[in-house]
Order: sequence, then structure tokens, then C-alpha cells
Amino acid sequence: MGSHAKAWLVEDESAREMLDRVLTERPFLLLPPLHRVPLRVGNVVELVGPSSSSKTHILIQAAITCILPKLWKGVSYGGLGHSAMFIDLDCRFDVLRFSELLNHRIMEAANGSSSKVGCHQKDSEAQFERMKPYNEELFALCMKRFLYIRCYDSSEFLATLKTLHYRLQKEREVHGVNVHLLLIDSIGAFHWVDRGSSSFPLECDNRKSWHLQNVSEAVVQEIRRLLLVHPMLVMATKAVVLGNKYSTNELTWNYRKWSAVDNPYSRNITSSDQQLPYREYMPAAWQSFVTHRILVRATDDDLVNGEHQNNSIYLLKWLLPPLNSLDKFTVRDTGVFILS
Amino acid sequence: MARLANLETEYPVLDSTVRNFCASHGIFSVEDFLIHDLYMLAAFAEQNNSSERLKEGIAQVLSIIDDMHQPWLNGMELLEDAKRNKHVFPTGIQGIDLLLGGGIRVGQLTELVGPSSSGKTQVCLRTASNVARNHLVLYLDTGNSFSPQRIAYFLGKTINPSSAQAKNQFLQKVMSNISCHSVFDIFAMFDVLHQLESYLRCQDGRGGCQMRLLIVDSISSLISPVLGSSSTQGLNISYTA
Repeated sequence: MGSHAKAWLVEDESAREMLDRVLTERPFLLLPPLHRVPLRVGNVVELVGPSSSSKTHILIQAAITCILPKLWKGVSYGGLGHSAMFIDLDCRFDVLRFSELLNHRIMEAANGSSSKVGCHQKDSEAQFERMKPYNEELFALCMKRFLYIRCYDSSEFLATLKTLHYRLQKEREVHGVNVHLLLIDSIGAFHWVDRGSSSFPLECDNRKSWHLQNVSEAVVQEIRRLLLVHPMLVMATKAVVLGNKYSTNELTWNYRKWSAVDNPYSRNITSSDQQLPYREYMPAAWQSFVTHRILVRATDDDLVNGEHQNNSIYLLKWLLPPLNSLDKFTVRDTGVFILS
Repeated sequence: MARLANLETEYPVLDSTVRNFCASHGIFSVEDFLIHDLYMLAAFAEQNNSSERLKEGIAQVLSIIDDMHQPWLNGMELLEDAKRNKHVFPTGIQGIDLLLGGGIRVGQLTELVGPSSSGKTQVCLRTASNVARNHLVLYLDTGNSFSPQRIAYFLGKTINPSSAQAKNQFLQKVMSNISCHSVFDIFAMFDVLHQLESYLRCQDGRGGCQMRLLIVDSISSLISPVLGSSSTQGLNISYTA
């Protein structure tokens, strides 16, 4: 008995060792354009924006960063080397575009390392040709780490989530790769369908009917359970319609000014009560599950990038945690490019 | 959704003990399993007398649920499937083909949005004339904007100058591949679409030209009367209770 009690008092590791261990096993992710707030496993990030505001593109960029290895055959790719899972509820995923972006990232990293050596143009081209079979091998390796599923309604989505734990265990045993990222494209895809499904009178009292609140709570519960066993970063997109008065004037994005003018009691309002420029339609179960929220939208400005390339500029604003800055970025073949 | 009682013949594990246990928690069908917490259920099953039986039953239902969703694919499989099956139809307009990466994709809905007189109908006509060379096209016209002369003009621009008769034959063949229907309300469109569905079902058996393109010009004039907007174009449909 005495030896057991003593064993409790002996320390396992110092705080510094623990910090080292946690930072290597669960690193902070700084994904452009979400680079202002470091993201970790267990965070639930929601990307909100109207249609065509590069939300899916940000997800794809995060997936590519996740599946690229950190270091491969001497070239640093700056990725995590883990698997990424993509649950497509919109059923609009474009795998050709995804492979294009992955190829561009691989080539960019390969070119970046070769130009550091300082060779001439011809040498770097020859080296690129030599690297080509390696690139294809790396490409295949990365693509195999990207797992994709599409769901056509809420019952398929719930069935996917319920069986995900066993699927992930199998992946871990067979391939030895952990899943680090769970991407959900358009969490609000079935919202109106579920809302419209009428609940028939049921025989039993404690039988749950299939309506929006129950489905949403079940989804949140499943993801929570999953995060306990397989720590991952969850990113979801949500399509909203921005109100008209916020579509033209950027100044109205400054909430403090607006709320101070209209509401004299604004000093007591916490950040969660802030008026959002869009109408929130997801149920409270999902809203309280989200830990980070970002609003993106496209502006009408174009960045002229050569003769035929006009890339549109997107604006990004952190709603949770509320930051006062607006980021501008544009989308290129190699990924997202921050402008300011 | 399948009631558990009906599944007993196929999966004998789901016998009356399992079903009674589930009924006591308000679960009567597979659908109910989806919105219930299975871990809590397993914990309750643990405390029950016939816990082994119940856990087998829950495992069986989980494997049924596993069949209820689409299969997981990895990136390489997705890419191969896209390259093999997903074809692209060029529209014949260079700028749009460049933008879309080849043209309109089979199996996807491409929406042309724009204010009036921005060329949407012209794009539709050009695409129809291009695709009709090899496949059948169904053109649903809501505003009498289909113009056979324009289609003939597009086709005339691209064929080689040969004898007038060969030209005529070519025009005849391609124009007969385009089937144009005028629809003025959403119910007429549903009718046409139902007919199209049964046509497509028996099309798979036959060889030859297949219907590959459906163009609706324009969908907003069909839907906005139903949604009750105050649009001046199109009919206003009034309902009698």
C-alpha cells in the first residue's frame, strides 16, 4: 500500500516536457488565409459565406496541407503527413481541380528547393524532369491519404458518422496513418429538407421523431464522441445569404461603431450577442459546438494578374474569436495568396 | 425505414429480446438507431441480463447501418473514376470552354446566370448546336427564344464548303437531333421531365445516338410564379383551394 501511494506522488514529466510532447503530437496549424488564429485538434471551425466565396477552396487547401508530408526525399513540403477526411454533403466536389492544386503545390515545393541551390535555368529544368517520377509517386501517396464520401441525405450522413469510428480504427491498423482533419462541405445542406420533414404522431412516448433538432443533436453528439477517440480538427462550411445593407459598404463591418450608434447598451453585450450580418439558421446544438467562426465573401474588385488572368479578391473576417481586422486574399493555382 | 421486426427473417440475431430491449428505449426501426446514442444503449445493454445477446444485436444493426451510406473512396480512386466516366461537352465558345476547363460536365448542373440580354440564350443555342453533332439534345424553351435559323447559322460556320446537298444533309441530321419543347409553367415542365425519364430508361438498351444534354431556357420564369414573386415576366399562377 505504501509503495502505491508513493507512486502517485512521483512526477511523470515536467511541464516543459509535457509542452514539448503536446506540441509535437498535436501541432498548431496556421493555414492561410486562417493564419491569424492558430488551430489545434479539437477545434471546430465554421466557414460562413454566400455562394462562391471560396469556402470549399479553403477546405481543399487545408486538406492538401494535411496530406503532404513534412519532408520527403530531401524536399521539404511543409505538410503534416496525416490523412484528411472529406464528407461532401453538397456533392459538388471537383477532384480534377483538387489534383491540379496538389500538383501545383508539389511542383512549387520542388522548384523552391532546387532554386535554393542556385542552378541555372537549364539545370533546374533537367532536375524537374528527374523529379517527375518522384512527383508522381508522391502524388499517388498523397491522394491515397485523402478519403472522400458523399451523402445524399441526413440518414446517410448519420450512418457515415456512426460507422466512422470503426473505419478510422481499420485505417490506423492497415495503413498506420492517423486522421488529422475532418472536413464537412456545407453542414447546412439538409437543413431545409429536415425542417420540412413532418413528424408523424408516434405510438411511444420516448420515441424520438426525425426532425431537425434531433438530427442536429445526433450529428453533434457523434462528432463529439469521435473527437474523444480520434482527435481531429473539424472544419465545416456553411452557405448563408448576407443582408443587403452589408453587401456594399465595408465600413459597416466595424461592429462596435454600428452597435454603439444604434444600441446604447452595447457595452454590456458580450461577443456572442453581436449582430451578425447574416441570418443564422443552424440549430443551437450546432451553434454551441462551433469554437471558431469565419466569414468570407467575394468582393467586386479584381486583381489584374497579367493579360488574361483576373483573380477576384475575397474578404475574410474572424467572427469567433472576434478580431477587428479584415484580410484580403486571392486564389491562385498554388493556393491562397494573402494580399493584406 | 425498416422496422426491426421485419428484419428478423434476414438477421436472426434481432430476435424478440433485442427488440423488446430496443422498444423500451423507444427504438422501433433502423432509422431510430441513427438518432439515438449507441454507446449509451450499449451501456444499458451491459446492465441487462442477456447482455451478450443485446450486444450482438447492436453490432448487427451497426453493420446494417454501414451499408446505408455510400462507400468511402480515396483520392486516387476518385481521380480514376472522374477521368474514366465524367465526360465533358465543349460548348463551342472558346472563352467559356477555357473557363470551364473543357466544357460542360456530364452529370452536373451548369447554371448560366445574368441580367437580360447578356447572351444566355445565345450560349444555350451554341451549345445545343455543338452537342447535337453527335448526341441528342432536349431544349425546353419558356420564352419562345429558340431560333432554328441561329442554329443553322452556327452549324453553317463550322462545316467545310462542300456541295450544297451535303451541307443540307448535314444540317438536317444535326437539327433533327435537337428536340425543342415549349413549356410555359412548371407543371408542363414536370410532364416533359417524366416523359424524358421513361425515354431515358428504354434508351439504355438501344445503341446509336443518345440523349445527353438538357437545356432549360430559362428556369426562373417557371419557378418565380410558384414562389410568388412580383415578376412581370411569365404567367402568374393562381391556386384555388
